[in-house]
Amino acid sequence: MTRRVALIGASAIPVGRHQTPDDAALQTLEHEIMTRLVTEAVQDAGVNKEDIQSLVFTLPRPYTRQKYFHTFLMGQLRLACRGSVMEVMGNGMTAALAFDKACDEILLGRAEVALALGINMESAVSAAEHMMSSMRTTGDVDFHTSAGFTPIAWYAMDATRYLHEHGATREQLGAVAVKNRHHASLNPLAQYRKPITLDEVVAQRPIVEPLGLYDVPPRGDGAACLVLASEDVAKATGRPYALVRGRGFCHDGSHQISDVPNDMIAFEAAARASRDAYAQAGIGAQEIDLAELYAPCTIVEVLVSEAIGLVPRGQGARAAFEGETRLGGRIPVSTSGGLTSRGHPAYVTSLYNYVELAEQLRGRAGERQVKDAHWGLGTGELGNYNAALVHVLEAVR
Amino acid sequence: MSDNTRLPCLPVAGTRAYPPRHSAFTAVFWNALAQGLWQTTRCGACGHATFPPKPVCPHCWSTDMRWAPLGARGRLYSWTRIHAAPAVFAAEAPYAVGIVDLDDGLRLACRLLDTEHTTWTPGMPVEMVVLTYEDGPLFAARPI
Repeated sequence: MTRRVALIGASAIPVGRHQTPDDAALQTLEHEIMTRLVTEAVQDAGVNKEDIQSLVFTLPRPYTRQKYFHTFLMGQLRLACRGSVMEVMGNGMTAALAFDKACDEILLGRAEVALALGINMESAVSAAEHMMSSMRTTGDVDFHTSAGFTPIAWYAMDATRYLHEHGATREQLGAVAVKNRHHASLNPLAQYRKPITLDEVVAQRPIVEPLGLYDVPPRGDGAACLVLASEDVAKATGRPYALVRGRGFCHDGSHQISDVPNDMIAFEAAARASRDAYAQAGIGAQEIDLAELYAPCTIVEVLVSEAIGLVPRGQGARAAFEGETRLGGRIPVSTSGGLTSRGHPAYVTSLYNYVELAEQLRGRAGERQVKDAHWGLGTGELGNYNAALVHVLEAVR
Repeated sequence: MSDNTRLPCLPVAGTRAYPPRHSAFTAVFWNALAQGLWQTTRCGACGHATFPPKPVCPHCWSTDMRWAPLGARGRLYSWTRIHAAPAVFAAEAPYAVGIVDLDDGLRLACRLLDTEHTTWTPGMPVEMVVLTYEDGPLFAARPI
């Protein structure tokens, strides 16, 4: 019988400013955070240290002083493994890949229990300095970066095009930020929890037009650990878990921009990856109860929601404005608060999305619990959704 | 050759904030651009042009790539104005960038020649220009 993978445990620190400047007398040390999170997640899962045979780490930021962080942590925890131990990297997709590769370890039979984990520390580095690195990640470093493009500038151009094509309004787009802040107000892991109004969103200073401060992600640090297990191990714990039922991946063969003109805001990679994931799970988009999307800006949540079939094309911003994607609405999106309010420590961002799915699908999300949540969906991406990784999870209680 | 495309060259004070690297291959493009020549590579095997220019055809993987003139005009597909800029571009902020669909069928991204009075709108006609900095050229678009 085909093996299946279950998400059985999770832990995370609240997203926020944890990184210390180099001259601080007392430093925040990444491994001290990470070792504690591993013990919490494994305890949450109800498995033992000896059961863990594979660990897939997200690559730390270059600002993390301890190199080879993954194998350093193995030493801190005296974890002896026979599956795989590695760090993965895929720009914004990094954490989704860590989850995916940890699933593979179990599917391949190399491990009965595998961890997907990591830490992203960057907030003590100024935005202007950090952008000196991030501007080299999107587009062509010689032909695009020389013109001054930044990562979120591409999303801003998605927004311009979307407003132009679909007649959506600035207010409808801003409603995504208001909705996600409301969700974040109910999430102890969220970076920004004070509710905001639509007027406040629209009045913020422009960052990349037409997107203002509240349409784009804040900078922050985070760390999380997920425990994945074979279905047999999950059952044996006697606790609720979330079964990974569908997985889809698509890279559209372009990097940031296609020189063959295409429909840039269709997010075709997300559409294809989600179709594959739904087909494996044997469901349609209409059966999804909640979605945790990798969506760094308000516009991205709108476009992904449309691409994966949660809302009709051109209707995503309107749906947010009218409350369809809010908790209690037809299809709650980003119940964690999303990247704009829960926060976006980029290399571990998707870990937080799976943490939220684990909480929701195990019925432990408290005030922000989606009633009878059965099917959950998570996405990861890189570029301008040039590549997408989609997982569909089912609650087993 | 008579079918070269020549772009207007506009002098700009100072140097480029983040100049492109040159390889023996891309130097052909940048050196030509410095003279106002606007060109890219076209595949001798499958006929597809590509931008930025490439030594291997991304469509059919042929290495029979030849320099060919690019059209100077197109339409603005989308744009943004960047207010939060990386350290080296901070002095220029805010500045506008955009995506241009050239009339001859290629899409590219570049700086937009922005003024206080320019209203950028998707679909508007634009033309390519060369920004001639003291240390070398960049390509950009402006309204027609």
